[in-house]
Amino acid sequence: MPILPSTEFLVAHYMPYTELPPEEASRESLWVDIPNSLFDPKKGHDLYGRYFHEAVLAEKLGFDGICINEHHATASSMMPVPSLIAATIFAQTSKLKVCVMGTPPNMDSPNRLAETYAMLDVMSGGRLEIAIPLGTPMEYWVNPVAPATARKRHREAIDIILKAWTSREATSHDGEFFHYKYLNVWPRPYQDPHPPIFIVGSGSLETVDLAVEYGFGYASTFSPIAKQLQALDYFREKTTDSGRSVQPNMFPLTVMTYVAETDDQALAEFEAHAKYYFDFLLRPGEFANLPGYIALDELRKRGGHVLPKSHGKFDWNDLQDFYRVAVGSVETVTNKIEKWAEEVGSSRIIFEVHTGDMPHWKLAKNMTLLAEKVVPELKRRRDASGARTEAAE
Amino acid sequence: MNITQKITKPSMEGFERTEYDVAGTKTVVYSIGSGDPVVFLHGGATFPGFEFARSWARDRKVIIPHHPGFGESGDDDRINSVHDYVLHYLELFDQLKLERFDLAGHSFGAWIAAEFAIEHAHRLRKLVLAGPTGLVIKEHPAPDFFKIRATELPEYLTADPKVALSLFPEEPDVDFLVLGYRETTSLSRVCWDKPQGNRKLGRWLHRVKVPTLLVWGERDRFCPIAGASAWTSVLPDPRLEVIPGVGHLVFEESQAAVEAAHRFLAE
Repeated sequence: MPILPSTEFLVAHYMPYTELPPEEASRESLWVDIPNSLFDPKKGHDLYGRYFHEAVLAEKLGFDGICINEHHATASSMMPVPSLIAATIFAQTSKLKVCVMGTPPNMDSPNRLAETYAMLDVMSGGRLEIAIPLGTPMEYWVNPVAPATARKRHREAIDIILKAWTSREATSHDGEFFHYKYLNVWPRPYQDPHPPIFIVGSGSLETVDLAVEYGFGYASTFSPIAKQLQALDYFREKTTDSGRSVQPNMFPLTVMTYVAETDDQALAEFEAHAKYYFDFLLRPGEFANLPGYIALDELRKRGGHVLPKSHGKFDWNDLQDFYRVAVGSVETVTNKIEKWAEEVGSSRIIFEVHTGDMPHWKLAKNMTLLAEKVVPELKRRRDASGARTEAAE
Repeated sequence: MNITQKITKPSMEGFERTEYDVAGTKTVVYSIGSGDPVVFLHGGATFPGFEFARSWARDRKVIIPHHPGFGESGDDDRINSVHDYVLHYLELFDQLKLERFDLAGHSFGAWIAAEFAIEHAHRLRKLVLAGPTGLVIKEHPAPDFFKIRATELPEYLTADPKVALSLFPEEPDVDFLVLGYRETTSLSRVCWDKPQGNRKLGRWLHRVKVPTLLVWGERDRFCPIAGASAWTSVLPDPRLEVIPGVGHLVFEESQAAVEAAHRFLAE
């Protein structure tokens, strides 16, 4: 079955710092305590320049949006404050949506975050989308939030943001963790009542419950297909139980993608960067082991480890077999995307177009082939199928 | 597994186990022996066991509750301060009909015991604080427990890391990992953001008007011995027993420490 009629195509860019000296490859962790003497601000400046240029390219190629994320004290992301990245992209583009996926609201002042996002929405003329994460375990080592309270704070912070965005007069909040005598966002969001909201999750059902409860979309992080589908089934079931229906844009399909002339060439051009990403940038070391972060039955399911043992390890066969990774020719990638979009029933497809230390030319090639070959082919097949259906009627 | 190994592993054999309901929280209490009661409050983990209590039980009734969120007791995330633990124990001690008794604690348990004594010294006869945490000592800061890597833990726990290692399972064990995670989570509710302790404890320790024994491993890396004088200078009736060549788990590492506390309580 072809892709859905109103399908949107977005790219995701995680903007890593890729200029670490090679001898750092043996570090136990690229997170939390990695000395910032290893960050060269001049190289960082150049990378920002390049990455913003790539965001502009995404718009020129016709993508609907770009997803950016937030991580702290790590070389794997230069976006500890993604709202600044969003503001910069908005200023350089005119149609591109930016999905900030996003600031863990429990780590910020929730009202200030509501203000920040509202400003971005107004400044961009309603091009903002947000996805709310709990944050990885690693973020909690560098933020003043006791992880055992993380989920409760998370929930309360979301309530505050929603209250701030939906109330059209000054209100207040008196909760377990936050107290606001007056809650009153100026400017208020451009989109009425607020930008689209997703909850970011790695498959834990606790997080799916949260998305269902608020009627938000659910955005899977990089997690095995089986786990994503399990989360989707649960999401569908729970949403239906609550008397609502699941919209096709509520469960984005995120695919790590690289397109080249042939399957072999794609893998040859891609593999080193995936290795860099999984083996090096994602390596959390002991910082993944954060007390209070996950429920005990979930911990037991994971064999006593907070993050799956695969986190920070590259295994090409494992990636191919169990994850949404589409690396290959236009034909291969198109077929995979089409199959997965149907499997998920999603009208929102996010291509992770930049992996690890991929150079600009590869990213440009990848995005161009996606925009000029893969997406048109997906649409062509849809239209052809539509024509067939009409002819049959 | 041979018999010798079996004996060195902590075991609750010979202890009596009772469950209490303390304001809705299941609280498991082990006890052994008979005689005047001494309550022992364990530290931030239950895996070291309570083998030392067998020595005290020669002439005392040793009462060992598992804290909420630890060991076999239930969880309650509303218990998130040492003062909550003090109130929990106030209720438990009422249920146990303990009018006047001796109180001992190790590490985090010593912190709870010290705060209990600040508020309820009149119910106590004597107090034993072993490798106590809780007192913020600017000149001699303790390491942040939560930042200690799992692989480094044994050398923090005991002067000879082999002693601590003997308390860990030999093979990777999910139950052990989950229990450790749960107990560290419970501890984090209280002191994730104040690993040095309660900044106000020093302000009130003068209220502990009972004879107090500090049992301290000379090589304790959790609570460096240099900090002992900060305790003795504010406690009204302190005595310091330094155990040479021993680390944080004084009662697991040293029979001399076990006997010193026993003697003090017998005086």
